[in-house]
Amino acid sequence: MRSRGPSNRLQTMMDATPHTRRYRRKRKGKSPLVLNLAPMIDVTFLLLIFFSVTTTFRRAEGFLAAKLPKDAGRPVVAMPITPIIVRIEPADVGFGGYQLRVDHFVNAPATAGELVGFLREIHDQPGFSNETPVVLAATPDVAWDHVVACWNAALRANCNNISFGRQ
Amino acid sequence: MLRKREKSSITFNMAPMIDVVFLLIIFFMLVSTFASAENIPMEIPNPERSLAENVKIVDRVVINCRTTQMSPDDESGKAVYSIGPNRPESLESISKRLAAARSANPKLKVIIRADKRLRYEHVRAVMSVVAENEIEDMSLVAHVAGLDG
Repeated sequence: MRSRGPSNRLQTMMDATPHTRRYRRKRKGKSPLVLNLAPMIDVTFLLLIFFSVTTTFRRAEGFLAAKLPKDAGRPVVAMPITPIIVRIEPADVGFGGYQLRVDHFVNAPATAGELVGFLREIHDQPGFSNETPVVLAATPDVAWDHVVACWNAALRANCNNISFGRQ
Repeated sequence: MLRKREKSSITFNMAPMIDVVFLLIIFFMLVSTFASAENIPMEIPNPERSLAENVKIVDRVVINCRTTQMSPDDESGKAVYSIGPNRPESLESISKRLAAARSANPKLKVIIRADKRLRYEHVRAVMSVVAENEIEDMSLVAHVAGLDG
């Protein structure tokens, strides 16, 4: 800053009212500019506590597409192709076990995992394709988990026409 | 000439702590996906190599099917149905609400979110209600495949 001469400074002091003089004196005293961090830390900790309390880590859920017949499952026209009927039944194998049977096929798969390869093999046979209807007919007492496992297996086998049936 | 010894005040350096706290906040803000209220906690089916996709479905109604049974062999267990986060209701009531929703929006989609321990007959009953209301588009909820496949 450019310094004023002594006469100028004296003139300024004489012009100043007592109020402005006091004000200037206050400004002359060096007060360090301090940033008060306390409120920010308060808010930050509040946010941290909120997120750490409300966050629960869950596995992601997704959707398996399905189609339902328009008129509650009553067939309107006879199906031109023989469907692959997979029967899901409870079995006494372990806790809530199940077994699979496929109509007109003797070597039925034991699990939903094996059903994938089984359906792919059927698709390669003459008269069958990806468009061949696959009906999952589960007994009323089988667990929903097994039905979904078989539905997922049929999707993995690239079946395009899967539906639920009744036993 | 002797120099006057300067007084050193003890100060608490907060910078690293604020750094860590901000990092934690950013982490939680990025990983948090607020669970939808309509997804009531239950055991969802977890098929091997699941093809379930985490896609956004609009114009949807989520039907939650929970169970009071401990195992599929437990015949005393009951199924509890509810639409989204609402309180449990009967299948007749759900059917009426579906009919009203279907008439308001013909493109309505139904998501069946059922407990994996539920007996098939209970889920089948929901599917029948959905089919009676001429709703074709339906999705089943399962876990998305993890990194292990």
